[in-house]
Amino acid sequence: MSPRHAWARQLAALAVFVAIWETAGRAGLLNPLYAPRPSQIGAALVDLFGSGRIWTHLEATFTAALVGLALGIVAGIVLGVLGALIPLVAELLEPVMTLLNAIPRVILAPLFVIWLGIGIASKVALAFILVAVLIFFTVFTGIRQVDRRLVERIVTLGGGRWALVRHVYLPSVAAWVLGNLKVAVGFAFTGACVGEFVAASRGLGYLLSFAQSTFNSALMMAIVLLIMVVVLVIFALAGRLEKYLLRWN
Amino acid sequence: MLEGATLAVGDGQFVSLVGPSGSGKSSLLRAVIGLQQPLKGTVEREVAPSDVAILFQDDALLPWKTARDNVALGLILNGVPRGEALAQADLWLERLGLAGFGHRFPRHLSGGQRKRVALAQVLAREPKLLLMDEPFASLDAIVRARIVQDVAALVDRERISVLLVTHDLEEAISLSDHIYLLSQGPRARVTRDYPTPLPRPRDPVRARMHAAFAPLYEKIWNDLSREVDRRP
Repeated sequence: MSPRHAWARQLAALAVFVAIWETAGRAGLLNPLYAPRPSQIGAALVDLFGSGRIWTHLEATFTAALVGLALGIVAGIVLGVLGALIPLVAELLEPVMTLLNAIPRVILAPLFVIWLGIGIASKVALAFILVAVLIFFTVFTGIRQVDRRLVERIVTLGGGRWALVRHVYLPSVAAWVLGNLKVAVGFAFTGACVGEFVAASRGLGYLLSFAQSTFNSALMMAIVLLIMVVVLVIFALAGRLEKYLLRWN
Repeated sequence: MLEGATLAVGDGQFVSLVGPSGSGKSSLLRAVIGLQQPLKGTVEREVAPSDVAILFQDDALLPWKTARDNVALGLILNGVPRGEALAQADLWLERLGLAGFGHRFPRHLSGGQRKRVALAQVLAREPKLLLMDEPFASLDAIVRARIVQDVAALVDRERISVLLVTHDLEEAISLSDHIYLLSQGPRARVTRDYPTPLPRPRDPVRARMHAAFAPLYEKIWNDLSREVDRRP
């Protein structure tokens, strides 16, 4: 078996699985309340897009995730650099960050809702905190592990402090952040969706919680499927960006 | 640790420093270029710090810069305008047999090619004194011999003074005008020095076939062995 055609076999297996599921559903072997047929899930998806009501939810989730991602990356880099350069900052920040890193940060969602309301701010905050802690540790440990040989190389070529920052530290930080970009994107969408699930009036997470409260499993599965597709597309884009910017690696 | 080392590198001279591991050969080079301070004593340079260059054992190129950007960087850091620095970089890459490889990233070059880029990087700065710390140790024999030939030719042409630290006696004799032997550490010192009776300019590969090569090799080898055997 050629590994080049693995995708074809995987696709065939998926088709067989979906066909069995559909047949079993039509034969009355599956309770539609728990396991709606693939065609019903498809119909729910078509309805979401056909009626146009999905766009406002997609927009809400994307906005919260991307704003949280951007803010989280910036804050993570700034705090990571400060921590690596200033011992006092490291002393104060490290225990807090270690604690935040140790807990499942999504448990902060109810707190953010109380503090920031059920609007977009609480979702951004959750995405932000998930991403910022990840990027902080990436940058903080990364800067401490900058290749000494590269530093000595720049110094012996006549470079000063600014040359070190520009030619060694900044590119190193960029490389570490980009290396974690996919994980960060996943975290940002997790934060946005969980935040919406807890309390919101818009967004994919809200739609999911709505479907759950009305016991609409076809809609639930349709949304889960949609979130999967959305995150896969974003992953692919992040992967492209990473591959281009880290083409030297 | 190195305790007593008095040695001099004359204008245009090729000087090698050999000795047992841990005798402080690398520390001495680092002190000459100012990466570390000698605990005692002084380093006297008749050339400006910007005229001293060092080539380490690892090539330490910036992985995110292409070969030509890496070479140009050495010039840009010293105030050469970017366009001119890139033109110089292309010239030096060509001199080192890497024409057409300038756009490659270090990762996509072989070990020998990376070493040549690192050489182009230091030579492009037109140093008066070149320090080399086991520069070719990681390369395989043929690649190494070819690079050593090119280094010898370029150093002769540009009239660069060289201080080479090496474990390889053959390399030291075939390249140098003068060889210093360090004693076993701790408290290592320069115990002996040998002028090499081989004429320059010379081809370091052919130099090994010179009649004076083998006797000198034997002499230094015996002295070096005695130092290694004194290990406490």
